Amino acid sequence: MWNMLKTFFILEKSNKRNIFACISVAIFVFGLMFFVKTEDLGNAVKEKSGEYQSLSSALSQYQNVDATDSGNGSNLYKNLVLQQLLVSKQRMAIKMDRPELFMDAAIELTDLRTKSFGMEGFDNVESYLPSKIENQLDRVFYDYMNQTGIPLSIDSLTFFQFLSYLFVVLGSVWFVFISIYTCGIMIEDFQHTSLIKGYPITFDKYVIAKSIATMLIVGVFIVEIFIFSLPLLYFKGVGNPSYPIPVFDGVFTVYPIYKYIGVAILYMIFISIFTILLSVILNVLLKNMYLTLFVELLLFIVPMLFPNMMNLIPYNPFNYMNYSHLLNGQTPDLANPVVLNATHGLIYIGMSIVLMVVAVKIFLTTGKLKRV
Amino acid sequence: MWAYFKLEFFQFMRNKKNIAIYVILLFFSCYFAIKIAPTYNPIEKVEVNEIEARYETREEFLNNVVINDGTHHLTRYAAAIFPEWNEYDKQRLDAINQNNLKEYAEATYKWYAYSDNMIFYRGGGVLYYNPGYYTFGNNYATMDGHFGYLYNASRYEGYTEVNSDLTINIFEERTALQTLQRLLNSYLPLILIVSCILFTVDIVLKDRRNPTLLQGLPLSDWRKLMVKGFVSLLGSVLAIIPLSVGLLIIGVQNGFGDFGLPVPIYIADDIFSNRMMWEYLIQNMLLIIFWFSLIISLVLLASVTLKNEFANLFVASVLVLAELMYFNRGIGAIKDFHWYPTSYVQVGQITSGYRNYLYASEALTFGSGLAIIGLCTCMFLFFTFLLSNRRKFKLL
Repeated sequence: MWNMLKTFFILEKSNKRNIFACISVAIFVFGLMFFVKTEDLGNAVKEKSGEYQSLSSALSQYQNVDATDSGNGSNLYKNLVLQQLLVSKQRMAIKMDRPELFMDAAIELTDLRTKSFGMEGFDNVESYLPSKIENQLDRVFYDYMNQTGIPLSIDSLTFFQFLSYLFVVLGSVWFVFISIYTCGIMIEDFQHTSLIKGYPITFDKYVIAKSIATMLIVGVFIVEIFIFSLPLLYFKGVGNPSYPIPVFDGVFTVYPIYKYIGVAILYMIFISIFTILLSVILNVLLKNMYLTLFVELLLFIVPMLFPNMMNLIPYNPFNYMNYSHLLNGQTPDLANPVVLNATHGLIYIGMSIVLMVVAVKIFLTTGKLKRV
Repeated sequence: MWAYFKLEFFQFMRNKKNIAIYVILLFFSCYFAIKIAPTYNPIEKVEVNEIEARYETREEFLNNVVINDGTHHLTRYAAAIFPEWNEYDKQRLDAINQNNLKEYAEATYKWYAYSDNMIFYRGGGVLYYNPGYYTFGNNYATMDGHFGYLYNASRYEGYTEVNSDLTINIFEERTALQTLQRLLNSYLPLILIVSCILFTVDIVLKDRRNPTLLQGLPLSDWRKLMVKGFVSLLGSVLAIIPLSVGLLIIGVQNGFGDFGLPVPIYIADDIFSNRMMWEYLIQNMLLIIFWFSLIISLVLLASVTLKNEFANLFVASVLVLAELMYFNRGIGAIKDFHWYPTSYVQVGQITSGYRNYLYASEALTFGSGLAIIGLCTCMFLFFTFLLSNRRKFKLL
């Protein structure tokens, strides 16, 4: 086994695929930096003026009337007027650099929004307001900030702030990247089946060794992400590693950035192992790397095309392949709400990995292999 | 040469990967036609209730308002601008009630032109566009509304001159050809370009499995490459066939539309001019074929230099995705991004001028797109030609 691994490393070292995968990871990291910079993400002034505009257009649906408590406007109208007032207060607080005022207004705003969801006529103004889930995420975020007194971050390009954003984006593309990277994992060997048959170890051991070697290279990619983000340390500073990120994990809660990154990396490792084994099995069955890729991508998007399936088969590991969707609570917001839990996801993916390893051990032998 | 073309073409068509791509495209076009297209909810609908509500509120205001020295200036302003506005709304209502669509188009055109003039230049924070533009998180709602109203004004003006029958589906852009036009403005060009990348990615390297077979062919490497490029260009264009199945389904449901329908093109400085549908579609087709050639020439060059399929995939996707790294609304006013071929990847938005509006530039036109993409294609082909003529060169 150890000798096999060494052989693989010698082979993989000169494989152009690895070099280009490394370059694409680097381009992804640097590209994201430019994206964050040009889009000016996390610019509170810009966000708040957008919010103000949305509220104005929500209010334009109503006649202007007396919005005081004794006035004759509807409850929702009064609520919206108050929301607009609070957003203005927040804009003012940012300009005047009064974070505590901003925070108070933010908490009051989420309270008002929570109330507004049940009010009569809410359907008409729904599109101008954040969804229930987004509001709840905001709520836990600001509550936590208020309790701990962490200052509000304004620069989204400091090291940890950027990493947190990077891992959110990675959540959606990691499975796709790994399936493109691994879709041809066995094909090159299948072009010379006599070679495999000549190895002094059994086929399942060979597969496991190959998977371990690939997995180690994937580990290199993950390390690479951190290394290429290092320049930000110099240019923008460290940022706060315990800055909270609101997540949905069965309940609404916050993860500090380091915990979010930890969960993300755990998921990425599980997804990588899962995809590698899936690629191996599909390679053996289909004997074509592009067909493998297409099947994997189709399996990936089926839960998005038919969201009702998630309700029907909650243990389908493909429901959990996009961990940032999972953690930002998009699944309970669907027409047919389904509560997908991040921990359960890891268990289901883990079980599928075990099943696939067993399948490789039982069903795959060199005897039946044919040259592609 | 012809025999080699036939050989390559049959190999291309019998390639499992290529068949899979055609099948997937077929699946997506049917999925779109059956599941997504019926849920299309345009912002600018033909809705009698909406017009009626607006008309009656304003009419009541105009009938009851008393202007004297103490009147608020906004009330005066409203009393000044609503009569003309309401006149158009009344014409629209009457026309739609009598089912006279030609007249409706005429009145609607004037309504949009007048509304945009009022809201954009004299709105002053009290007048708004259709609320559909102001969704949560959209910081450019006013600009979107401005574009939308001018676009619709131009479109309805075009309908007044059209010879074919008008329907509500045409007004709401639901017919098959108009759906195609809308898709060209969003993700259809990307789907076609990605398919082209996947078609081309292994066209040179697949021969590595049986190199000796091809060594005996009496063709130079450069000619082989040209034949391969032409085959994948042909294959990419054929991808339109599975996609048109979805179009047929939409056509049966909502009507096919007409090749003479107007498509508003944004020129510059809030000026639109109408083009015929067929003209617009041919321009798009041409630009997409140029994109195919660019992608194919790049992948051929990558194939002969890097000799790895993953590398081909990587290089081509960088070309397609590079725009994301620098694109920002209004950036064209500061920097000359119209020299980058990557700025032209949204083919439909280039030909309809919407990309110019987003970039705040005037240079991203159909003509400059053809010139720049064509130039890059020639450059890549020239490098491939030089490489393939070196004495040490090996195709595989």
